[in-house]
Amino acid sequence: MRYLDHAATSHPKPAPVLAAINEWFEAFGISADRGDSHQAVEVNQRVTAARRGLGELIGVPGERVAFHSGATESLNLALRAVLRPGDTVLTTAFEHSSVVRPLRALTEERGIVTEILPPDPDFGLAPARVVTALERLRPRLFVFTHASNVTGALFDARAFCEAARANETLSLLDVSQTAGLFDIDVGADLVAGSAHKGLHAPPGLGFLTARPGLELAPQKQGGTGSAVALADHPTTWPSAFEAGTPNTPAILGLAAALAWLVAEDRDQLAARALARTQDLEDRLAAIPGVRLVGTPTGPRTPVTSFVHDDLDPAELGAMFAAADIHVRTGFHCAPWIHGHLGTAAAGTVRISPGPAVSADDIAAAAAVVAG
Amino acid sequence: MPAAQGRFSRQVRVPQIGESGQAKLAHAKVLIVGVGALGTHTAEALGRAGVGQLLLVDRDIVELSNLQRQHLFEEGDATNGTPKAVAAAARLARLNSGCEVQPHVADCSAAFLDETFPSDAAKPDLVLDGTDNFPTRYLLNDWCARHDVPWIYAGAVGTEGAAMVIPPRGPCLRCIWPDPPANADVANCETAGILSPAIAAVTAFQVAEALKLLTGNTEATAAGIFTCDVWRGSYQRQELATTPAPDCPVCSRQDFPALSAPPTAAVTLCGRDAVQVDPPRREPVDLATLATRLQGAVEELRRTPHLLRFVADGCRFSVFPGGRALVFGVRDPLRARALYDRWVGLG
Repeated sequence: MRYLDHAATSHPKPAPVLAAINEWFEAFGISADRGDSHQAVEVNQRVTAARRGLGELIGVPGERVAFHSGATESLNLALRAVLRPGDTVLTTAFEHSSVVRPLRALTEERGIVTEILPPDPDFGLAPARVVTALERLRPRLFVFTHASNVTGALFDARAFCEAARANETLSLLDVSQTAGLFDIDVGADLVAGSAHKGLHAPPGLGFLTARPGLELAPQKQGGTGSAVALADHPTTWPSAFEAGTPNTPAILGLAAALAWLVAEDRDQLAARALARTQDLEDRLAAIPGVRLVGTPTGPRTPVTSFVHDDLDPAELGAMFAAADIHVRTGFHCAPWIHGHLGTAAAGTVRISPGPAVSADDIAAAAAVVAG
Repeated sequence: MPAAQGRFSRQVRVPQIGESGQAKLAHAKVLIVGVGALGTHTAEALGRAGVGQLLLVDRDIVELSNLQRQHLFEEGDATNGTPKAVAAAARLARLNSGCEVQPHVADCSAAFLDETFPSDAAKPDLVLDGTDNFPTRYLLNDWCARHDVPWIYAGAVGTEGAAMVIPPRGPCLRCIWPDPPANADVANCETAGILSPAIAAVTAFQVAEALKLLTGNTEATAAGIFTCDVWRGSYQRQELATTPAPDCPVCSRQDFPALSAPPTAAVTLCGRDAVQVDPPRREPVDLATLATRLQGAVEELRRTPHLLRFVADGCRFSVFPGGRALVFGVRDPLRARALYDRWVGLG
């Protein structure tokens, strides 16, 4: 199988990541913050290293990094912790269902008001428009994705966060598409993301960070391994936002993945994937009937979407499957953006290369479409 | 009032049935798989004859094109798109309120059979084939052999039909035809049409054999395969081997391939009026052969190197060389499976 779906999850995982996961099952088997054995101490050190490494990428201390089952859980918890009845929230048309659906639920539950920024005519999001919207609305929260998981557009998150701060608006940044690929230390109050995409850790792990000084009420209560004698859930991070047995093998995998990203040079890995994406787009653009969808004119991630005049995305999906190439078709869990892209009826074909994707993989993918 | 004087009096008067046979019918449980032309004929006959329990399984809905030959359905069922099993059960309840009818709007899979009949005590006394495809028949064959239940094969297309009793100890369908025929080679009612007397002829055989088996007249069952061509006026029975084939996996090795075969997957595409049907990996499908078979029966038939497209039953189909298909214009996976089996039929 040729794997071209790195925007969903990266594959294959680096060998040191697999080794770290395996080592936990073989040598440790102990959950983080549970127990005092030598092995428990070793596990805790590795988990602390994972928190610290991730915190460094985001620009927060390690203890402000809470681990969850995935970015979806992190986003849900953050939205529920921040938004109060009647609050206004600003967001963008590029958001994933993990933001769209909790906002819909909170509209029902708490009467929040959601304002959705549509894309610019070139399918970007100019900071000036974000500033205008923030000044006009002065919302409680601005929640936005760092990059579109459909078009690959990479947004100026630093400018967005600065504008939010200037308007006393909290910022919640979704780095699921960018963590491990690009700079995510951009001054957001809250950062949520996924470990299994660009960070190359296993699935079942996401994270939420909160800048020091930003205190939020815990949204889930349960065992933390700390302060167990108290009946109330702790309010200190990371325990405040962690409840229940953590996914320790995945966290150890993340620790190994963070080290691997440094050793391999993250910028080099991203550049390789971007070069493959550009090669693919050049090939696709030359195929009669193909229309690239929302292709970024500015900064971007290694993600591209396209449609075909004569072939439904689902038909193209079956053709890719027949060629043993894994791509994605449909709406990619981003329900709002397709109305703007003109793809509301059937979605797109999305191809998202990773660092290990070869020129041959790209040629094979283009050949499927060329017929 | 004894049955001899009541609604079953004419049947009881037939000496092979009698009061005791009628009592056995009242306690009988029959599973009818496929409630189309074959299934509605047999369900009506057995329901009227006084069979105590009928289980009807069909995943499809009533359509106008069914009414020419399928009993129990009315125009309103087609207008409403009523599930066939439900429409048939409603009508049977009016024909014989003493018959307990259970409709199942479902795909007849190994899992369905195991869930519906979780124990030997719950299993049916007899299974009647009312299907339109061989993969389901091989499933019935293997399940019935495994659970020691007789079943009666039947099929009809054009002006011809065939039926035969498959005893639980064989010879079974696999003894006679070791492998299911390639469906692309099999004519079906959509492409070849069907005359209702062909249905009547084969279901007459099925019902008569059912009455024998259910009343304990096992020794009277007709051996071999019944075939007919109602246009030629030819009705005959051909004797077949009376002992199981030595290399039959079911009869000789107690191996039941269809019970462990992966089922065909059908998934509604997220946010679309479309279902992807994906049969277990098989030999590549010859799209050219399929196109030839569908010629004239479907609209907008078009073939490219990668896919075959056509419109049928108001839905657009795209079939790929691996057997996968997309059915546009439908959201219900069961309906899509039914349409797939009808038009693509790779099972």
